[in-house]
Amino acid sequence: MARLIKTEAVVEGRTEVRWTLVEEDSTPEWPADQPPGVVGEPTTRLTAGARLSGSARYTSDMQLPRQLEATVLRSPHANARLTSISLDAARAVPGVRAVIGPGDCPQFDGEAVLHDEPPYGGAAVAAIAAETREAADEAMAALDPQWEPLGFVVDLDQSLENQTFQDDPVEYERGDAETALAAAELTITSDYLAPAQLHNSMEPHCAVADWRPDGLTLWSSTQGIYQARSQLCGSFGLDQEHVRVICHFMGGGFGSKFGCGPEGVIAAELSRRAGRPVRLVLSRRDENLSTGYRTPARFSFTIGAGCDGRLQAVEASAVMGLGTGGWAYPVLEPVKSVYACEHQHLMTLPMRLNLGPAAAFRAPGVMEGTWAFEQALDELAEAAGLDPLELRRRNHTDVDPSTGRPYTSKRLLESYDLAAELAGWDARDELRSDGRVRRGMGCASQYWWGGGGPPAYADVRIGSDAKPVLTVGMQDLGTGVTTACAVVLAERLGIRPDQVTVRTGDTDLAGHGPFSGGSMTLASVAPAVRSAGHHVRTQLLELAADMFEIAASDLELTEGEVRSTDGTLRRPIHDVTEKLGNAWVTGSGSRAPNPDGMAVNTFGCQIAQVAVDTLTGLITVERVVAVHDIGRVVNPMGARSQVLGGILQGIGFALSEERVVDPTTGTVVNAGLEDYKIPTLADLPEVECRFVGEPDPELALGIKGLGEPPIIPTPGAIGNAVAHALGLRLREAPYTPRRVLEALQ
Amino acid sequence: MQVELEVNGNRYRVDAAAAEPLSALLRDRLQLTGTKVACGEGTCGSCTVLVDDRPVLSCLTLAAACDGASVRTVEAEGDLLDRLRRAFTEEDGFQCGFCTPGQLMSALALLERTPHPSPDEIVTAMSGNLCRCGAYEGIAVAVARAAEAPA
Ligand code: FES
Ligand code: FES
Repeated sequence: MARLIKTEAVVEGRTEVRWTLVEEDSTPEWPADQPPGVVGEPTTRLTAGARLSGSARYTSDMQLPRQLEATVLRSPHANARLTSISLDAARAVPGVRAVIGPGDCPQFDGEAVLHDEPPYGGAAVAAIAAETREAADEAMAALDPQWEPLGFVVDLDQSLENQTFQDDPVEYERGDAETALAAAELTITSDYLAPAQLHNSMEPHCAVADWRPDGLTLWSSTQGIYQARSQLCGSFGLDQEHVRVICHFMGGGFGSKFGCGPEGVIAAELSRRAGRPVRLVLSRRDENLSTGYRTPARFSFTIGAGCDGRLQAVEASAVMGLGTGGWAYPVLEPVKSVYACEHQHLMTLPMRLNLGPAAAFRAPGVMEGTWAFEQALDELAEAAGLDPLELRRRNHTDVDPSTGRPYTSKRLLESYDLAAELAGWDARDELRSDGRVRRGMGCASQYWWGGGGPPAYADVRIGSDAKPVLTVGMQDLGTGVTTACAVVLAERLGIRPDQVTVRTGDTDLAGHGPFSGGSMTLASVAPAVRSAGHHVRTQLLELAADMFEIAASDLELTEGEVRSTDGTLRRPIHDVTEKLGNAWVTGSGSRAPNPDGMAVNTFGCQIAQVAVDTLTGLITVERVVAVHDIGRVVNPMGARSQVLGGILQGIGFALSEERVVDPTTGTVVNAGLEDYKIPTLADLPEVECRFVGEPDPELALGIKGLGEPPIIPTPGAIGNAVAHALGLRLREAPYTPRRVLEALQ
Repeated sequence: MQVELEVNGNRYRVDAAAAEPLSALLRDRLQLTGTKVACGEGTCGSCTVLVDDRPVLSCLTLAAACDGASVRTVEAEGDLLDRLRRAFTEEDGFQCGFCTPGQLMSALALLERTPHPSPDEIVTAMSGNLCRCGAYEGIAVAVARAAEAPA
């Protein structure tokens, strides 16, 4: 029987209260002492065939009959008023089927999509749909927009002076930081400046809209098909039943692709007007101007501690450059929640600038906050004459320091020990030298949420061929969650994961499900999958019991067979399912809530070893040891790949990635991949990756998420390693050769 | 402008626009959408295909310049390509798979030229192919493994 329950979920630092529908669930837990079959075995990706043969259809690959191509006119100015535009001239170009300007397009999430006063360079102003790209380009030239440039602010300090906030400032206080700081035996103050990091998913934002009298279908490269559906319903006043959102294959998102995006609304409006399907794919430059970035932030810390290194008080502020959108990402969470520290006063100021809207980027706020605070902690360790890892151990906390809640599980101390052992931490000073190339080693802690939760639903059906079809309400950005779901189902049905067909990424297939973010997806959907699989398993065993005249409780499904526990019966599962003929056995499952009153977090520690060439200023990350506590590991092969991916993006943040804005024009000068440098194969370090900890005893299936954790400690560990190598600290990332050489002078 | 070319062993005669890149001809006219365009300006390698056995960036190559050429894309068949596909699968050399067609074609060009590349040769040949998911370790190991595997 289904019932409605009220639950709390922490999504990227924000607590959401939700009502969700859950089914009663009698699926037995996995026994703690015995590994559950294929779960935990390395499993290759289910999508390999499609992705390696070129047959996987991504949104940008869609080609519907009579499909039109769309382009968008964007403002070249940091802030401007559109004084005139020739929409009719564009309409007159042969092959043009729809042209829309400011005022012609519905809003997206309550915000204008096409601007008559575009507030940043790259803001959309008009859009065109035409038979060919060439016709669209010609029409674009005919638009002949005239601008009146307006004043702009792209500088954090100036924005602070003007007090223009994009989101409400966040103040957090516990204890009495001022008094405690005054009394502290040791105090240090330090500042850090984090850059704007651009997502650069290899697949740009894109949408293909097919507006018909009976409803709208949108193919979208999105991390949230259900969110996209409700946004489209809101924009166009449509019912849920008349909007279908599809995302079968997706080329990455990393936080920049929640919902349908403005591109979805533009494509849908053009399709509505033209009566034809419309495809809109952003160029790499438009992508980097308008679809989000990790917020740049200026951090200031004053830390007070005892001579023993125990934290007593922290005063901290973070000034974030949000541009024209986004929210106050939890940049000071690493200060508030990772260590025991009684007195805190934290201030986050989310400033508005004439730049594109910020967006969540893999561990938004927490990664850059960790980068800064973990370095300030190393400064404290130095002042206290302590080993940096020892300082962290001394400040360990067994309860969430901001709420006092106990953790469902926490293996941070174990992570320190294992990482130190694997990295050779105790001998780290032997790496140092005075030569041209200087080596060093640094560490950082990792803290994130990731416990998952409702709503998540799954359906399984199995027919005569004994090959189940699993339908899950979610989308796969490319993380491998599809394969992990197949593993979880395969365990229940005693088959191999590659025998499972997984259907996802279609709002018409499954009613609802989580968006892909906050390291929530697998921990949310896996229990639903398992419970759906369990219902099917129970029915198959009952069928087998009838056929073989053995009690269902004496039968099990393993290795593709129905077996009796006494070993007398071994028959292929197929022998049972073939009796179904054209009928199906079906089962459904949903995700139950996490326990109330407990903090659900992932933890870990990374240690980086770097080599700094003091002649060229070039830094090489030679080795990273990554130890993470993520509960049960469903697919170690996919998990390792997630860790590698996070580390590489962390290396990019630390060493090369930085959006550069020209202060005289207010526009971004490196929106292409020529000048915006993301890591390549040549930047790959040796990575030692381990997972500590048991399945989380309080969570369904013991699974915690892994999307965000691996990126979080990497830049901080690199920063600390560089300081260890050079004996001086770089306060601004990325640590480009220029900054290294300047610091050395 | 009439262009005659062979793609993955099939002959085509198509009317291409003067400035049309090979990537558009493949994707939009021939419906070979396996080739991906992540930047469209020669900076990422995702659009890599083989033209007369040489790796080229199809987003920067004019379709008209491919008259008479033989083109291979990720949709091609072949033992070496299959070996690479197997190795990419077993070494987890991709996540989202968007850069993968370009990675496979660069790897194919490398192994056809240099059947037993050194680790440095692999890095040099493959570092023009960006992968934002960071599947580089799997990619490098997969290329080395495909080179070792018996044909
Ligand atoms: S799409 Fe051709 S190099 Fe990027
Ligand atoms: S696998 Fe996603 S970009 Fe390479």
